[in-house]
Amino acid sequence: MDRIVVTGMGGISAIGTTVAENRTSLIKGTCGMGRLEMFPSKFSDTLPVAEIKLSTEQLKEKLNAFEPGITRTTLLALHAMKETIAGSRLTDEQISSLDTALIGASTVGGMCMTDEMQRDAQKDTPGSEYLASYDCGSTYMYLQKRYSLNGPVNTINTACSSSANAIMFGARLIRSGKARRAIVGGADSLAKFTINGFNSLHILSPDLCTPFDEERKGLNLGEGAAFLILEREEDATGKKIYASLSGYANANDAYHASSLSDEGIGPYKAMSDALVSAKLDPAQIDFINAHGTGTENNDKLESMAMLRLFGKVPAFASTKANIGHTLGASGAIEALYCILNLEEQELYPGINFKNPITETGLQPLRMYQKAKLTHIMSNSFGFGGNCSSLIFSKA
Amino acid sequence: MELDLNKLFEQADTKMLAIEPSYEDIPPGILRRMGKAVRMGAGAAMPIVKNNPKPDGIIIATANGGKEDCVKFLNQIIEYDEGLLTPINFVQSTPNAIAAQIGLLTKNHGYNITHLHLGLAFEFAIIDADMMLSENPLNSYLLGAVDDISSYNYNFEDKNGWYKKQAITNKTFYEINSPGTIAGEGAAMFLVSGKRSGSVAKLLAVDTLHNEDEFLMKEKLQDFITKYLPAGERVDLLLTGENGDSRLLKYYSACESVVKDNVSVARFKHISGEYPTATAMGLWLCCNILQNQSIPGHMMKYAAPTTRYKNVLIYNNHRGTQHSFILASG
Repeated sequence: MDRIVVTGMGGISAIGTTVAENRTSLIKGTCGMGRLEMFPSKFSDTLPVAEIKLSTEQLKEKLNAFEPGITRTTLLALHAMKETIAGSRLTDEQISSLDTALIGASTVGGMCMTDEMQRDAQKDTPGSEYLASYDCGSTYMYLQKRYSLNGPVNTINTACSSSANAIMFGARLIRSGKARRAIVGGADSLAKFTINGFNSLHILSPDLCTPFDEERKGLNLGEGAAFLILEREEDATGKKIYASLSGYANANDAYHASSLSDEGIGPYKAMSDALVSAKLDPAQIDFINAHGTGTENNDKLESMAMLRLFGKVPAFASTKANIGHTLGASGAIEALYCILNLEEQELYPGINFKNPITETGLQPLRMYQKAKLTHIMSNSFGFGGNCSSLIFSKA
Repeated sequence: MELDLNKLFEQADTKMLAIEPSYEDIPPGILRRMGKAVRMGAGAAMPIVKNNPKPDGIIIATANGGKEDCVKFLNQIIEYDEGLLTPINFVQSTPNAIAAQIGLLTKNHGYNITHLHLGLAFEFAIIDADMMLSENPLNSYLLGAVDDISSYNYNFEDKNGWYKKQAITNKTFYEINSPGTIAGEGAAMFLVSGKRSGSVAKLLAVDTLHNEDEFLMKEKLQDFITKYLPAGERVDLLLTGENGDSRLLKYYSACESVVKDNVSVARFKHISGEYPTATAMGLWLCCNILQNQSIPGHMMKYAAPTTRYKNVLIYNNHRGTQHSFILASG
């Protein structure tokens, strides 16, 4: 079967509400981190977050989405979905066709309504409008209804690699003939639940995060959503092809619930298996959009795994320095950024970096540049050792 | 514990809690820290992993798994006003913790994924396993599902009207014509591969539908049977997820009307209770029926004269809109 290609995309993050806005910000090296303002929290003044500067109310207005129980995560997903569909050449008939799949991902889901959830979970309190919205599947069930989707709709959660797995699952549905096209991606919003959760693990940085830097202190949380439309190349005649999804892999580190093994087994295997699936040698990768959260553990081990696999590590950077760690949305947003790299034949500067990790000496790309790019790798490694790697190639 | 499926444990409470074993295969220090869903999932998986070559991947479905720890962590946030909290509840609260923990316990570096789509989570896990086996025909995968009753899902679903308002038992719950059902929980795990010999059952097909219209569901079911039932063969047993909720009866009646009159109909939710991934338990019971060639009396709704059970059609409806169709054969 021929290539799986990307024929549409949409995304929203702290550095832009559209793909074009995101690109402008990436070129400029914009940092989306700031003060937490959307809900009261002890951490508003102490932990930078990459918040999208559109309140939940503003999102509802903009998207004409006032259904009871609609959550911020769903609104962000809807925002990205709207852009994705608008820019695609899909007809209403195709969107509602039995062979159009929607594969989504989320880790926060409706838990962004942290206080409501805690109250609803108690036995004797009256139920709020969010009773059916807390789980991650409800975002995609909402999109299913809103877009009258009749094909397969599924939700995946593998922590921080969730939307990378959603992309893979959609591609595999197409390859196996179970779908003809797949809208794939993820969404997550900032939530008191996750801020407190990551804080309890001592992996949040009190400063702007500095991926791959020797003095890195942890990650900054972000929020966002992104979707891609995947189709078989033979169905994409006459359409703009942004890039092809040429390889992918999912492997498990199987070492610890929330940190990676010293050997970086999971990251190494995910990257290595992705290369095999794309039938590429390591030397053919022109750039890596790294997982690069800015934590002590991830950045060191991802670096070691890259060194072990590539020897001469290609140019790499982490866009989490721009948009924070968007959790369930990160795989999809970062895939979108790789596709921009390929479409525009350019690379964006890795920001907030000063000194390399002593043990590795690796430095992310520091300057915006035009470049001849054919194959780009995107890594996402999550809790539970869930590691994934995607390879996109020039259209 | 010797299992006798003919015996039905009477449940008098509004919740059908799982009867948990002593989990000998899980080291006590690790067991102690596990949330219930992780414990049940890992507990059901370990015997399979112990007694077979290492699977090439772990494919799990859960809609609510981990949420008990989620609520515990939420309560901590409120109680300590966002102070320094202990992370274990947070880490155990992620739905992928089940698949991750099984991978950890068995040092499995292969494919590892968790599907969450409520009443269709297990069906997508099956589809995932099917695709993995088509791509890698010599591999085997651990496939399963788990959901637990926690204050997260119980209180939410109760307030949303999904459970019976009166206390009833699982012995009478099909007979009381009222909205709502009984909450259940459980884990069911399977080893799947392309190897026919030594196998318990063959999964012929699985499909899903998300729609409220029972006529559309009927049409889809008819197409499903036409497409996937082997030529010249018949459905020998219809196993449904009928769950005592009067609002959902029309879907089960529609389903029963599609299969011919001389097909036995059995039900399983009085054994498992209602939870999003209960079809995994239905499949487990189907495998038992295919192996033993007998159906426990308490499961039977309509007994047709049948000499051999070969093709079993499993139909489930989750909250009206999510329909699943599974065809398995012995």
